[in-house]
Amino acid sequence: MQFRLEKRREPSRVVLYSAPLIAVLLTMFFGAIIFSAIGYDGVGAVREIFLTPITNSLKWQDLAVKASPLIIIGVGLSIAYRANVWNIGAEGQYIMGGLAATWVALLTHGMGGFWILPAMMVAGFLGGAAYAAIPAFFKTRLNVNEILTSLMLTYASVQLIYYLVRAPWKDPMGMGFPQTRRFASEALLPNIVPGTIVHAGVPIAIIVALVAWFVMSRSVFGYQVKVVGSAPHAARYGGFSENKTIWLALLLSGALAGFAGALEVSGPFQRMVPGFPTNYGFTAIIVAFLGRLNPLGVIFAGIIMAITFVGGEVAQTTIGLPSSASGIFQSMMLFFLLAGDILVRYRLKRVAPQGEARA
Amino acid sequence: MTLNRRTMLKAGAVAAALPLLGSRAFAQTEPLKIGFVLVGTINDNGWNYAHNQARLYLEEQLGDAVETVYVENVPEGPDCERVLRELAQQGCKLIFATSFGFGDSVIKVAEQFPDITFEHATGYMRSANVGTYNARFYEGRAVCGTVAGHLSQTGKAGYIGSFPIPEVVMGVNAFVLAARKVNPEFTITPVYLSSWNDPAKEADAARAMIDQGIDVIAQHTDGPAALQVAEERGIVGGFGQGADMSAFAPNAQLTSIIDNWGPHYVKTAQAVIDGTWESKDSWPGLAEGEVEIGAYGPKVPEDVVAAAEAVKQGQIDGSLHIFTGPINDHTGTERVAAGVTLTDEELLSMDWYVEGVIPPA
Amino acid sequence: MSTELLIAIIITVVGASTPILIAALGELVVEKSGVLNLGVEGMMLVGAITAFVVTFTTGNHYLAIVCAAGAGVAASMIFGFLTLSLSANQTATGLALTIFGTGFSALAGQGYSARPVTLLGPLFPAELATHPVWRVLFGYSALVYFSLIMVVVVWFFLKRTRAGLILRAVGENDLSAHSIGYSVIGVRYAAVAFGGAMAGIAGACFPLLLTPQWAERMTAGRGWIAVALVVFASWKPFRLLAGAYLFGLVMTMELYAKAGGGPLSSIPSELWAAMPYLATIVVLVLISIRRDASSNAPACLGRPFLPSN
Repeated sequence: MQFRLEKRREPSRVVLYSAPLIAVLLTMFFGAIIFSAIGYDGVGAVREIFLTPITNSLKWQDLAVKASPLIIIGVGLSIAYRANVWNIGAEGQYIMGGLAATWVALLTHGMGGFWILPAMMVAGFLGGAAYAAIPAFFKTRLNVNEILTSLMLTYASVQLIYYLVRAPWKDPMGMGFPQTRRFASEALLPNIVPGTIVHAGVPIAIIVALVAWFVMSRSVFGYQVKVVGSAPHAARYGGFSENKTIWLALLLSGALAGFAGALEVSGPFQRMVPGFPTNYGFTAIIVAFLGRLNPLGVIFAGIIMAITFVGGEVAQTTIGLPSSASGIFQSMMLFFLLAGDILVRYRLKRVAPQGEARA
Repeated sequence: MTLNRRTMLKAGAVAAALPLLGSRAFAQTEPLKIGFVLVGTINDNGWNYAHNQARLYLEEQLGDAVETVYVENVPEGPDCERVLRELAQQGCKLIFATSFGFGDSVIKVAEQFPDITFEHATGYMRSANVGTYNARFYEGRAVCGTVAGHLSQTGKAGYIGSFPIPEVVMGVNAFVLAARKVNPEFTITPVYLSSWNDPAKEADAARAMIDQGIDVIAQHTDGPAALQVAEERGIVGGFGQGADMSAFAPNAQLTSIIDNWGPHYVKTAQAVIDGTWESKDSWPGLAEGEVEIGAYGPKVPEDVVAAAEAVKQGQIDGSLHIFTGPINDHTGTERVAAGVTLTDEELLSMDWYVEGVIPPA
Repeated sequence: MSTELLIAIIITVVGASTPILIAALGELVVEKSGVLNLGVEGMMLVGAITAFVVTFTTGNHYLAIVCAAGAGVAASMIFGFLTLSLSANQTATGLALTIFGTGFSALAGQGYSARPVTLLGPLFPAELATHPVWRVLFGYSALVYFSLIMVVVVWFFLKRTRAGLILRAVGENDLSAHSIGYSVIGVRYAAVAFGGAMAGIAGACFPLLLTPQWAERMTAGRGWIAVALVVFASWKPFRLLAGAYLFGLVMTMELYAKAGGGPLSSIPSELWAAMPYLATIVVLVLISIRRDASSNAPACLGRPFLPSN
């Protein structure tokens, strides 16, 4: 018996939205089998990684804090990817946003004033956007592949952090350790739920996603992005500028990544440290796909990814699962999801074994 | 539940102790649950490996009075904060955070959990329920420096570090001060890699050193990469860092500095159980057995072993402190007057090199 | 600088360059077929742990290299199946493959980190390499000669063989290649498998050529350097060779400068570390200005093959 793929007339919405769920379930099922087979408590691993973070209310604040930068970056990326602009350097833009915000915080240290935190956020926005402008410029002017430039810039930005915290920005009172001073209280992101670690970045993430969803589904801009992304030729006839869309997509995704960096450095980190790059920018790529490049979907995808991180740590302490296991679960989830994608546009059809040879 | 969790731990020692649970008189009292937060993997042959060994030692020593868990590969920053809270919520009453970069997180989480005791390795920020601890590795470096001073033919040593933090600078200085007591012309070149774990780069750094006349290599990064190059090239040798690494370099390992956190962990856990713990900075060294000198390699002759042991004994009985003046800095200006010894505070913020160090840019 | 030191530097540079050259050669062929596999780092780690375990258990280095290649192919087939058979997004699948390879190698490598192995020795008998100058030519292990031979093989294959022509055609214009009757998917599968094998062997270089041990994430980002290198070389094998040695020189010169204390040692190490990436961007821009990128960057790079059936 053989199967062949047959193109659907309309992309299947049912498959589109159920695929992430199925991917998660398949990951849980096969993950349990695989980890049992290699001598761990596989069922326990799945329980601790996927369920404990949801069922234990103490973990919700962790999920919220871990998910919010992923959501903010993921929303920006999903818009860029819709426009067929492959910004994979969000990590670098996140870093530059964090550095720009740090710069403001250090410059204004000791000044006081309510405007410092907003200024840091703006700096984060601009820092991320400026860094994304480099691939945008080269892409639109010289047709240089933005995947490659944005990726290369990420590695350069990591070195920039190392340099800044080791030399010019080093905390004078920090016993020589490579990190900046702790930000003044005016430069710190406020906590919004007393007694927890939930900071202002959490509602901001939700708002960003909702606004993006509204813009993408209701505005001319959203329409333009989708048309340019899916049918560039048609877009040209329709009078939409491809270059303008590339610029917008990169600047927007860069600005959001930079904004997330500013929120992270002023919230959870409270100073710039060499450990600031925590792969949020790369993880957000997965989040964007898991969320079907839809801002609302990104909210759920961000939470699912946060669950696997938080749960991975739970599983280490409760059942002694090594830390590498969460990476395996995450990649499995993505593999299943990507594998299921084809069923959105195609359906499986059974054909006779001696069916015609396909090229 | 507790029982289940423990069974799952792969630590053999725990498993062996399990059947005893409940059979002893004090079984009614809950064991003290202790959490360990590690920045790398327990399989790194170095820093984190040593902390895990100490965790196992702690379980062995205190038996079913304690129960331990660990989380590895924890990034420095907010992720650490979450892990600390996770451990606190799981009922850990004592938590060891074993990397400098965890400092901010420890202070923050400790505020939220005032009834839990935190201990932060290599840090300097303390609070009511946060203590700090470290080991005087520089004492071990002085022993290694003595061996190097005797054995090096070129009088040039290299020192592979990650970042020039005071801990590393202190080690470089102690090494060369000891070596220059033997050979006044001795120099050391520190090379910083900006990474704790890039073994291929460590190996290449060792090659670059050997090719330029360095015949003794010390390192402050985890893992045996530099020692293996020393073995392959047949230079005078190097030193195991954190653990005995003679399996990787049977000839080239002259001796090793062994991190032995076990006694501190046992002492701290016992203090928490007895209710006598208080926040302080603990910085023991060779005398307390927290820093150990491993076996000497086959290339180290009797008289050099004796000289090295004398330096070790001097530091144990207090007759020798390697940071006692006169000490000049690398430009030759006197920095510490004769007879004066640097204080712990001065050591912990050390950012200058002594004479004999060829300073990096 | 003495001849001795110069020769020593060359030998270290060759060692540091070899894994990135091998991985980049594989990725070059993959990209020439129109596929962008960002999972190089992950496949390298899978190759590294495989090579280590095989060397540790059998002591046979050559078997280890073969097994590492096989493991690389196996890992690449996950990518191939998803992106080629199921037309999944290549960027996302490649990233997932890197996450997978990192996790898999760490899991498989548990318990192997405190175990030593030995490096793969020089290919030629020591008598050939007694004089320092001869050492530059004959002092390396087989992996180094393999990487050099493969540069020629890949160049010859792409430029001079029919199969290479088809592969390039598939990467330039998949739809017309398909309409002429070539199996786009089949060609790309073969290219991806080749890339996997090369990445696996590149990974094997870490325990067999550079530092005889296993450490988690021991490739430390060199898979990404290999990806950068392909672009840096504008998809040309001999430029790749030059680029790999240039990158290796930059990575190694930093260490020599610092250990020797020369004038170069005042350059901050962060700048050294960022240099290969910045240089790649500069090259990308330059070749675009000169317009020869358009003739070299495979037109279908990163795009799924979707014949309208």
